[in-house]
Amino acid sequence: MGKFENKYILITGASKGIGFTLAENLDNLGAKLILHASTDAGMNKLTDSFANKGHLLFKADFSDPLSLEEAWQSQINQDIKLDGFVNCVGLRSRRPLTLLKPAHVMQILHANVASFIEMCRLICRKNGFNPGLSIITISSIAAHSGGPGVTAYAASKAATEAAVRCLAKELFKKEIRVNSLVCGQVNTSAYADLMETKSDATDTILERQYLGLGSTQNITNILLFLLGGESCFITGSAIPADGGYLS
Amino acid sequence: MMYCIINDGGDTGYCIVEQLVQLNHEVILIDRKDQLPDSLLKMKSNRFSFYSFDFYQTHLIESELKNILLPTEKLNGFVYAAGIGGVRPLALTTTTFVSEMMNANLYAFLEFARLLSKKTRLETGGSIVAISSVSSIKGLKSKIAYSASKAALDAAIRGMATELAERKIRVNSIRKGWVEADLKHDFIQDNIALSTQDDHARQLLGTIGTADLAKLVCFLLSDDSKFISGTNVLLDGAYTIS
Repeated sequence: MGKFENKYILITGASKGIGFTLAENLDNLGAKLILHASTDAGMNKLTDSFANKGHLLFKADFSDPLSLEEAWQSQINQDIKLDGFVNCVGLRSRRPLTLLKPAHVMQILHANVASFIEMCRLICRKNGFNPGLSIITISSIAAHSGGPGVTAYAASKAATEAAVRCLAKELFKKEIRVNSLVCGQVNTSAYADLMETKSDATDTILERQYLGLGSTQNITNILLFLLGGESCFITGSAIPADGGYLS
Repeated sequence: MMYCIINDGGDTGYCIVEQLVQLNHEVILIDRKDQLPDSLLKMKSNRFSFYSFDFYQTHLIESELKNILLPTEKLNGFVYAAGIGGVRPLALTTTTFVSEMMNANLYAFLEFARLLSKKTRLETGGSIVAISSVSSIKGLKSKIAYSASKAALDAAIRGMATELAERKIRVNSIRKGWVEADLKHDFIQDNIALSTQDDHARQLLGTIGTADLAKLVCFLLSDDSKFISGTNVLLDGAYTIS
């Protein structure tokens, strides 16, 4: 029997990076998963990796939060009661202020904030969850420490952290906990893409992140703790998983 | 010095205008409301000008600014004192509601910042100030969207401050608690009704005067604060610690 045997856990942004590693871990631990991806390529990867294991797949476009209600209701069996929700969707953005037009800012905020709140709204309805539901959203050190060009991304992550504090205070009566995990640099494909676009190959963030580049397994270990009952006294918090960056 | 104040009919914005004019600065007020309060109507100053348009429609901002500012006019700073509030439990926090809040409290500010921070528009050493809220760091139930929008604003400031530092331009926000000017609005009353505890009473020093908030804005605009940048200054009457 795995630690998460028969627990229903929704992972959004599950086709790569942290979400994918978490899905692999939870699969091994016996959880029943609802795995989300935004694109066909993502869905194909999830199908290939988790075929015949009894998990559900959920395709929805997080850059269009208004479409999520219809997508959720049409694709997911409404009798399922969730025990966990980990939001790993995070649209990156790196633009100087002169190019930061409203359409771009909205795109980032829709994907990273409005869609997370909308998913919470959809799953926290009556009969949508079991008491003890743990919700975790992946945040970033960018929410706490400014960098040139990351204005929209930082704003979106800080917004989710603030929303988490309010959600925790509203939902504790339903025995739902809500936390954010403030990640430093993690060795994901998004990170590799970022490094490729840089003119020089050095990452100045790693000079301050003195434990070095994080792995998706490092982050997953903390997520497993926050999903499980051992963390039942932790809610409304933004927990750093940053290799020391913010210290 | 020449400053631009962006306001949505709030007394805070009017109060900042009054104080800046008294300090002999040139002030442009851009307000969503097209009527001025008596205090500003009475003010006979050729150093004050007033424009009104609905800048929550962010696509209008670029063209309207071309009408308001001459091509050669450069600002020493601007203040974003507009924005909206609102309380709703999660079940009613729809995407539309979240988007309206983000639009007024973040997107419109960023669009002004994008356009007014250009080299042709903002002098070296200029200062940008936005009004934020303690809700950015303190969660209250039913303030999900509002808190998210203010935290987003505070984080955006840090990004902008690092980018604009090379032109010695400073960017800051003020995390305000309960201010006199805000208590007029209905949503605050709703909010007090929704709170399980009297949240207002946690502000140990009492309600912050509108003029006190305006004074802090004027300080952050001035060169007296020239080493303060990328910060979210707390003006909360000891709310956060209580």
